[in-house]
Amino acid sequence: MNAAPSRFRRLAVTLARHAARVLPGAPSSWAQAMRHELDYIADDSAALRWAFGCMLASYKARFVHRPRLSLRAAWRQLATSGALMLLIGLALQEHAGGQTEPPQPAFDETTCDLPGVSPELRPRLRCGTVSVRGITTSPTRAVSGWRSSLSRTSSSPRGRSLLSISVAAPANPSPSMPRIRPERPTRPAAI
Amino acid sequence: MPRKSNNSRQTRALLAALLERAQTWRHGYDLSKETGLKSGTLYPLLMRLSEQGLLESRWQEPERSGLPPRHVYRLTATGRALAREQELEAVATDRAGAWA
Repeated sequence: MNAAPSRFRRLAVTLARHAARVLPGAPSSWAQAMRHELDYIADDSAALRWAFGCMLASYKARFVHRPRLSLRAAWRQLATSGALMLLIGLALQEHAGGQTEPPQPAFDETTCDLPGVSPELRPRLRCGTVSVRGITTSPTRAVSGWRSSLSRTSSSPRGRSLLSISVAAPANPSPSMPRIRPERPTRPAAI
Repeated sequence: MPRKSNNSRQTRALLAALLERAQTWRHGYDLSKETGLKSGTLYPLLMRLSEQGLLESRWQEPERSGLPPRHVYRLTATGRALAREQELEAVATDRAGAWA
């Protein structure tokens, strides 16, 4: 045998040591038998094949001698997994609910005080304030086609931005009704 | 553990090789070369036969210094009986196949 072991030989020795550790009840005589037999194989590639087979044998033996799963342990694992999955599901549901539900606008009706609107249109208009939670767009774009007279932002108790816009919109919109052009807000909205 | 059948082709080959020189202690690598079984197949078979009391093993001191002791194997009386029985069965099967 050469003084300096080849790469194959070193790998074979490593595999054989691993096989000896994996074998149930190690260090057993069988693990030592497999490891010692390696020193009698002159060919390095054959030694590597032998060591690889020993590792497979060790894993086979380990699989055969694995401890049997008791019914109580199985139920415990099942219950733990179920509880964990339930918690994850509830957390996901709560998180997803906040993402999928669109913010619902609230319309607070007030009396109309619109000097620039013709008397024919006034009875057909509704005036009030629309409040939408979490709006991030500009008020003019949000009420495009509507008449906005005032916009402001404030903070809600839960930390979300709250947008309130006073608008004048048609009470019963019809295709023949003239479209009201939106006005610029009197002051820029800070969101 | 339930006793496994020893009728597999690999087991029969190993028993036949051990029976051929029944009184001689055999090494794992020699048995592997003779039977063509890889170490991953050979050692589980040797372990099983040993558990079933069909095989005995011992450590043999090395002939040259610097080498580790070697594990050697041979059939027990029960193992020899089983190996002979399987050999006879194999012969009978061959004859039945030849006459058919």
